[in-house]
Amino acid sequence: MNEKQVIDSLTKFIIRHKTREDEFDTLALQIFEYQFNNNLPYQRFCRQRETTPKTVQSWKSIPAVPINAYKSLTLSCCRPEDIKRTFMTSGTTGDELRGKCHHPTLSVYDTSMITAFKARFMPDLKTIRMGILFPTENEMPNSSLAHYLALAYSNFGSDGSQYFITTEGVCLEKLFAELERAEKNSEPYALLGASYSFVHLIDQMEKSNQTIQLPKGSRILDTGGFKGQSRELDLDDFYERLSERFSVPRASCVNMYGMTELSTQFYDNGNQICPSKKSGPHWIRSQVINPATGIPTPKGERGILVHCDLAHFNCVATIQTEDIGIEIDNGFLLLGRAKGAEAKGCSMAVAEFLKIAQG
Amino acid sequence: MTLNLGYFQGIESSTTEWKTLSFDRGRGAIEVAVPVLSETQLKSLCTRVKNMSQTYLKTIPVSDLVNIIDTTISSFLDRTNPYRQQAEDLLPRITGYDPEMIRLGLTSYLKTFRKVELNRFLSEDFSNPKILDEFQPLPKGGLGRAYGPDLLFHIWAGNVPGLPIWSLVSGLLVKAGNIGKVSSAEPLMASLFSKLLAEIDPKLGECIAIVWWEGGQNKWEEVLLKQADLVLAYGNNDTLRQIRNRTPITTRCLTYGHKISFGMISRSALDTGKSWTTAHQAAYDIVRYDQQGCYSPQIFFVEEGGAVSPEQFAQFLARELENFENKFPSRSLTIEEASIVASWRQSEELKAFSEEKRAFLADPNGRWSVSYSETAGEIYPSGLNRTIQVFAVGSLREVPSIVKPYKAFLQTVGIAASPEELIQLASQLGAIGVTRISALEHMTTPEAGWHHDGRFNLLDLVTVTEVERTAETAAEAFSDYVD
Amino acid sequence: MKFNKQIVLVTGSSRGIGAAIAKAFAAEGATVIINYIKNSAAAIETAEKCKELGGSAKIIQADVSSGEQIQKLIDEILQDFSKIDILVNNAFKPYIFDSENRKQFHETSWNDYQEQLDGVLFSSYTLCQTILPIFKKRTKGNIINIASDLVARPTIPYHDYMTAKAALIGFSRNLAMEVGQFGIRVNCVAPGLVYPTDGSMNTKEGLKEMIINQTPLRRIAAPEDVAGPVLFLASSWSGFITGQTLYIDGGLVMR
Repeated sequence: MNEKQVIDSLTKFIIRHKTREDEFDTLALQIFEYQFNNNLPYQRFCRQRETTPKTVQSWKSIPAVPINAYKSLTLSCCRPEDIKRTFMTSGTTGDELRGKCHHPTLSVYDTSMITAFKARFMPDLKTIRMGILFPTENEMPNSSLAHYLALAYSNFGSDGSQYFITTEGVCLEKLFAELERAEKNSEPYALLGASYSFVHLIDQMEKSNQTIQLPKGSRILDTGGFKGQSRELDLDDFYERLSERFSVPRASCVNMYGMTELSTQFYDNGNQICPSKKSGPHWIRSQVINPATGIPTPKGERGILVHCDLAHFNCVATIQTEDIGIEIDNGFLLLGRAKGAEAKGCSMAVAEFLKIAQG
Repeated sequence: MTLNLGYFQGIESSTTEWKTLSFDRGRGAIEVAVPVLSETQLKSLCTRVKNMSQTYLKTIPVSDLVNIIDTTISSFLDRTNPYRQQAEDLLPRITGYDPEMIRLGLTSYLKTFRKVELNRFLSEDFSNPKILDEFQPLPKGGLGRAYGPDLLFHIWAGNVPGLPIWSLVSGLLVKAGNIGKVSSAEPLMASLFSKLLAEIDPKLGECIAIVWWEGGQNKWEEVLLKQADLVLAYGNNDTLRQIRNRTPITTRCLTYGHKISFGMISRSALDTGKSWTTAHQAAYDIVRYDQQGCYSPQIFFVEEGGAVSPEQFAQFLARELENFENKFPSRSLTIEEASIVASWRQSEELKAFSEEKRAFLADPNGRWSVSYSETAGEIYPSGLNRTIQVFAVGSLREVPSIVKPYKAFLQTVGIAASPEELIQLASQLGAIGVTRISALEHMTTPEAGWHHDGRFNLLDLVTVTEVERTAETAAEAFSDYVD
Repeated sequence: MKFNKQIVLVTGSSRGIGAAIAKAFAAEGATVIINYIKNSAAAIETAEKCKELGGSAKIIQADVSSGEQIQKLIDEILQDFSKIDILVNNAFKPYIFDSENRKQFHETSWNDYQEQLDGVLFSSYTLCQTILPIFKKRTKGNIINIASDLVARPTIPYHDYMTAKAALIGFSRNLAMEVGQFGIRVNCVAPGLVYPTDGSMNTKEGLKEMIINQTPLRRIAAPEDVAGPVLFLASSWSGFITGQTLYIDGGLVMR
């Protein structure tokens, strides 16, 4: 297949309501072959793993690239001059290399986002008035999350929806004015943004003992975890306080799990119970593996999440994350980042060495 | 029934809190309980141990102590002894290491504490060990006597089975009262050793206590840091820094941090006859306790120009690691350990196909991996748990300058080279901070009396009281027999 | 299946013993490289059979008496599959097995010997030279060479041919000794008279009867009989066997 054919088949596949397992496999293998042939670093990676399109029969055996590879390799099928948009990972410490995902078009990304967002966050409404706790796409052109939220804003935000965060920080006054307006109005309201922004916000509100009674049907979408930008929180505690401050039931507090290295997002159906069950649409599949052996872990056991996202057609569809998860029926539990274990012996481990070597 | 670990006298075990530690490393799940003493209990324990150290331990001749420890160790070496059997049964389940590796490792380790070896410990550090018993003439004139601390506080880390015995024995030899805090990773051996010792000499048993608390729980630690005369701590640099900062300025604090060790293989060990043996020995050093020891190799530097190339050596090594899976199967890793291995493997794998002159050899099931590079750039630790880097070098003489920046972390170097090369390399390596050079296959089994990290095991623990010649001479004037 | 996902190269596998081996591997899930020189129709037929049996097959034409073509053969396999697990050296130079008109020793020139050595040993040698670096990098690999039971019991002394086959056994043992430390195994199978194959098409009934009478299992080998021991030696069931020669002749040779 060439790029155009890939995009066409993908788009058709995404907008279908239901697909069979074997259809997913077929398309996954076609996209794997496309990426193998057009993305040379990926091809070399696969060859090192002794895997080629001729040896793979199922999406489960497509070699998964560790997301760290994006930092040192250019993983892209299209010619550099055809790149329309590049999303970059946000480093946690700021001085490290950032991974880059190139997109020759965002049409597939957008279709993927809009289709899944509609199904998981907006099944009952066409549009909703939104407040977005994240900078705009203009301010952060390399952020996939900024683009994601821009899509939510432009496709599902009703008149009056607005952004409340600029690169300068949160416009609290404006935000509270808007929330109070929503409180008086009986129209459902949606707050969307990075998880850590919500943490700051709740902290602020708790300090001034402030609560907002958002009308029935209101909802909250948080994403991204806390990434060291805000103190680590117990998830249960976070959703409890979030729900309490805004009077939005925990069932309507949805967490989106996405990443720069994907073009599709996972959602839960609210956070009454933490960790919540995450699942994605029919064009993405996940496995939980033992990172040392690469072998899938038995259902119910902890392992590392591997995703095969067909919509991420230009880079690499199948990636190995650093997120710990547990496979359950029709989805997985997300347990957060795999932290390097405290060294048990007295042999120096990489993490400690780096810490010392970097001063 | 849950096995109670830890060890102490004089406190009703029913009056202390017990915390259950669970282990499941694929060799049979097990739970053990460790004591969490209250601060008051801990304080009274300190007083008791100090007291016993002063009134009993300090009065026993060191040769008697050697005999008691020797008897304890020989019981432990006896495979029909219940303590030994308990160690053989439980250690694999607690640490995940192969039972056969544990069994052989216990024997080879414990025998370094037999009588003759204990005397070696003593004579390594004291030209006249009787200086621990009474005042002895000093070479410079006058008299001297060495006193061990009344309370030596050990903070142990790590899951290399039995390492606490080293510092416990050292403490006993200098007549120190000992309180040791075991790590959650391996709370067993120090407890068993102490119980067995107490059976053999109950009063000596009262000079020891083995305790536990959750890592990072400072209030217990503070009690001991205040009470101890000397602190001996093992761990990573962050932990050690905190311990040292909390230790009163008047208390000495000896620290043993995490280290990097490596191997060096000369072209003279790489002919078609010897190269396999060399690789086999190197693999053994990697496999033994899965590189958890400070003396475990993380890198091999292999000289070019032998009949067998460094790359071929890497292949031999890979194959030997595979073969060792039959003899000493690798243990199952926790998800956290597996993540470290995986991230190391991934980054080496990426280098292997994006950089020239590299190769990555790995077991598809992730049990071992060898990363080969034709150029030795910056060094960095391996992912541990049977992951190793092999660097080709034009000459072994280049190695010291490669590792020099990491002077503070270097420890053991295993060398396969000719006598001339060995001496030449030893002086270069010593100058950049390497403290131990061993043969391959022996990197993880230091000999008796080894100077850990180049320090004196016993001498560092004592203070010496000197009676100067002037005092001696002046006293003469007051003697009865003065003319 | 025993050889699932394994890539197996069987030289000279369009017909006869080679084809039987290829099909047996395919039936156990392997991807088999069908190598041939001339008979592409037979190669296609064998490949089809392999697929029917549940395996995969790829046909590559190459004359394994040419070093250059061997290199191309291996390159092509790696291009497609990025690995090779098993090499079966089956191809040999055509030889007329005519018991009544064979060359006696005084009629056999050195050149006859040389030709057979080239025919039998050169391709095995070159294939091994080419493939071993790949096996060493994987710290595993498996080579099986096809010898003959006449080496052990020269019922008919085909001097040049059997000397070359005997050399192949010696070659295999030495190689096994050296590459064992890389986790690579080298073994031989030594079939007796196999019928029908191109080489045995013209074997006289009298000779066959004579062999049958002396064979404990009272028959002559079929090509399929050779496949079983080859698969055994290629599998993990024989993981601790190297440098051996398995006789496949119904017990004619016992050792």
